[in-house]
Amino acid sequence: MRLSLNSRLSAFSALLPALLVMLVVYVGATSWTVWMSLTNSRMLPNNNFVGLRQYEMLLGNDRWITSVHNIVIYGVLLVSLALVVGFLLAVAIDQRVRAEDTIRSIYLYPYSMSFIVTGLVWQWLLNPTLGIQHVLRSWGFEGATFDWIVRPETAIYCLVIAGVWQASGLVMAIMLAGLRGVDEEIWKAARVDGLPKWRVYVSIIVPMMGASFATAAVLLSTGVVRLYDLSVSMTNGGPGIASEVPAKFVMDHLFERANIGLATAAATTMLITVIAVVAPYLYWRARKGGMR
Amino acid sequence: MTAAAQFLPAARRSKRMNPARWGLYAFIFITALYFLLPLYVMVVTSLKPMAEIRQGNLLALPMSPSVDAWVKAWTSACTGLTCQGIRIGFFNSVRILVPSVAISILVGSLTGYALSLWRVRGANILFGAMMVVAFIPYQLFIYPLVRVFSFAGLGQSLLTIVIIHTIFGLPTMTLLFRNYFASLPVELFKAARVDGAGFYQIYARIMMPMATPMVVVAVILQTTGIWNDFILGLVFAGRDNLPMTVQLNNIVNSTQGERAYNVDMAATLLTALLPLAVYFGSGRWFVRGIAAGAVKG
Amino acid sequence: MKRTLFASVAIVAAAWASVPVSAEEMKAEVIHWWTSGGEAAAVKVFADQFTKAGGTWIDSAVAGAPNARNAAISRTVAGNPPTAMQLNTGKQFDELVEGDLLADVDVVATEDNWKGVMPAAIVAAATRNGKMYAVPVNIHGQNWLWYNKTVLASVGAAEPKTWNDALAILEKLKVDGKVIPLAFSGQKNWEQNLFNAVMIGVGGAQMWTGILGKRDAALAGSAEFKAVAVTYKKLKDYVDAGAPGRNWNDATNLVIQGKAGMQIMGDWAKGEFVAADKIPDKDYGCTVLSNGSGGYIMGGDVFVFPKAKDPSTTKAQMTLAKLMLTPETQIQFALKKGSIPVRGDVDTSALDACAQKGMRYVADKAQQMPSGDMLAPPALIGALQDAISQYWNTNMSADEFSAKVAAVLKSQE
Repeated sequence: MRLSLNSRLSAFSALLPALLVMLVVYVGATSWTVWMSLTNSRMLPNNNFVGLRQYEMLLGNDRWITSVHNIVIYGVLLVSLALVVGFLLAVAIDQRVRAEDTIRSIYLYPYSMSFIVTGLVWQWLLNPTLGIQHVLRSWGFEGATFDWIVRPETAIYCLVIAGVWQASGLVMAIMLAGLRGVDEEIWKAARVDGLPKWRVYVSIIVPMMGASFATAAVLLSTGVVRLYDLSVSMTNGGPGIASEVPAKFVMDHLFERANIGLATAAATTMLITVIAVVAPYLYWRARKGGMR
Repeated sequence: MTAAAQFLPAARRSKRMNPARWGLYAFIFITALYFLLPLYVMVVTSLKPMAEIRQGNLLALPMSPSVDAWVKAWTSACTGLTCQGIRIGFFNSVRILVPSVAISILVGSLTGYALSLWRVRGANILFGAMMVVAFIPYQLFIYPLVRVFSFAGLGQSLLTIVIIHTIFGLPTMTLLFRNYFASLPVELFKAARVDGAGFYQIYARIMMPMATPMVVVAVILQTTGIWNDFILGLVFAGRDNLPMTVQLNNIVNSTQGERAYNVDMAATLLTALLPLAVYFGSGRWFVRGIAAGAVKG
Repeated sequence: MKRTLFASVAIVAAAWASVPVSAEEMKAEVIHWWTSGGEAAAVKVFADQFTKAGGTWIDSAVAGAPNARNAAISRTVAGNPPTAMQLNTGKQFDELVEGDLLADVDVVATEDNWKGVMPAAIVAAATRNGKMYAVPVNIHGQNWLWYNKTVLASVGAAEPKTWNDALAILEKLKVDGKVIPLAFSGQKNWEQNLFNAVMIGVGGAQMWTGILGKRDAALAGSAEFKAVAVTYKKLKDYVDAGAPGRNWNDATNLVIQGKAGMQIMGDWAKGEFVAADKIPDKDYGCTVLSNGSGGYIMGGDVFVFPKAKDPSTTKAQMTLAKLMLTPETQIQFALKKGSIPVRGDVDTSALDACAQKGMRYVADKAQQMPSGDMLAPPALIGALQDAISQYWNTNMSADEFSAKVAAVLKSQE
């Protein structure tokens, strides 16, 4: 469709704030981050160029390696579980259930609370001497064992449990918005054809909701890469460095450890990884048929 | 959802209980337990005196329930020199929240609309770049942004924090609306174009009314994010506008002081009340069939 | 939508117009991280004194040291600094001095003879290029051992003096099997704090300053260092399964309730005992384990003052510096904070038994040990913390650990 000059100007004017923000804030701040990673900045930014030394230090750092490893495990599990759980919750709510507002709020409330305290509550619940294991044993299940959080090999899965608890509600809301955007005609047509309901969901609705899934997946993924509060309040990266994550590495080195050089090197590495994943995807989408 | 849940016209409207619906309610009940367990712990902890909490019976009901901790959290907990609880930041948080949510959704939806339905040159690159920055821990931007804002003469103020929230909300808001608009039937847009409607007319009259459920999601997302933000408010809002989370953090996060978990829990729950009210109140906007209605128009 | 938007714009505009007016009086905006009950009561001592001196104290409390530092330093860098900011006694303000961002307090320090009444290590930690740039306000002993008297008596044990004594008691408690021998909070900084207590208690002063001060990588490979590492790891046999992730105060409460025998923690733990109405020397005991050479790790807090253009601000800064260290303020502050005064010439009769014990340690030059923060920059402390935490939580051998520490010491300049 050819656009008139007028429309084109309007569209451009709508994009102006976004362009401005991208150029001034993001491009500027990102360049600053990359530059800092090439210096030996400690507490305050300085301009002493040291080449790639910070990156060498980073790659030799056990904690960074563990963090990267952890975020992959966490990311895969969290995104897939939250999408599945969130979608199922949305479908359940979409069945015209009683007290819909209340049920939806129950699923959503974890999202409203900051992890500063809810992380602590999860820590208590999963702690073997205090939480679920303790309660089960006091009920007479002597052999009950649920001590993932104190074992280095499994602590990261505890973050997933709390992460899914927090994020599923939001996924549910996005899915519900998607479901309610589905044309009523489609349901009518399916009814006329006598299709079972689950088949309508699997064969018709899910494929139609690609955009909702994509939106939820991207939002979840940004949360994964930025994962910080939960790790701090629930395990503080422990036991040892077993549940450390990259954003926490960046934050700890940026402020508490006064090592801006290393922190920005870690952040730049994260940035490059994200570009390496996102760019091919966007390119593929653009090739596939532009915007629509 | 079993095959037995045959999709009869009546089934969608009636609330008749059959095996499938029992299964449905069982599913809702069990998932609700998982979601509510931490809330239960928080509530009972907030109602116990510290001596009882020290006993370590996490799931036990309080022996002598008391709302002292709630009163203290709201009115008298120390957050530094002032001991007036978390209420002193409440209105600051509201003053930050309302304009930040409104403006970020406005800018984000416009951007998403322009990027989805209008073939603007370079739209893909802009969108791609926004997606990339959505992944960067925003804390990294604090130093440079402090510089930028003090250079622009804005310093720390309510205006600054609103702009900051709009900036950080832009990528996700754009994503949300771009994907939603892109999933709507394109015929709507084409019909409006044929009728000679302009860019902003289509946005205001057709697209936004149809995006109501997505606006609800955006409000949920932004309300929660902005209401719970701590570090941006601390650095950019200025000391007259510090949000409630600064007080919450001051109560909860002390390093060497003695800890009162009951007050911590009460303060957290109190802080979450506004977003909870928003979630609960959003209900009636989640209505079905807008798209169908609009087509028939 | 439109109406909300208009309302919000109006709100923004209204807020924008109400720029605060500046008065000519002495004002001090102080950023600190003392927010909770006891901490807030302590900082109020300073505020009250400042008010008495005719000033207005503007309190900017931000819990969590990194948060407070982040806010204070961002603002200082942007040219809108607070009047005063809190830091830990140590190297945290090196770069602020190098960047010429801080005002020195040397005039006040000389006038009031601070250097004559403070421990030398504290003076050194506040001094750069021969001038004092920071006001140390308290000393927190970091390696106290707290124990439940009833629990120790139940296995016939007396107060331990050395780590060997302590290990013997822990073993008895373990065999006895009624309580957790060592209450522990398995978070990185407390793992490091425990390691520090062992390093100074087993390795002594030379080991302490050799590793943290001189960063002697060869020392990290020595048999003595490995002995420290082995003792540290042995302690893991005496902690319970619930230790990882636990908060320090919850560990203290295990001791208070007689569910655990002892805990290594700084003297801020006293606040928990006080809150539970326990009395020192009656319900609980406090001591510092040592091998005879050096023993008391002195941490603490300082205030620094960003350079100001406005002379009234400078006046407020110097007034603050002066009054923070008067004997009266010092003793009042220590009482509330649970720390001990930074000056040795105050009347300590009001302090509790444990604080008085602390004063005696600090009075002895041989016992005064600068904290890790004073000896090494945050980046090094942090890197060591990761190594210690890995060693504690995995089956890494003492040899591997000492090699790791040596590598960390070498890599940091």
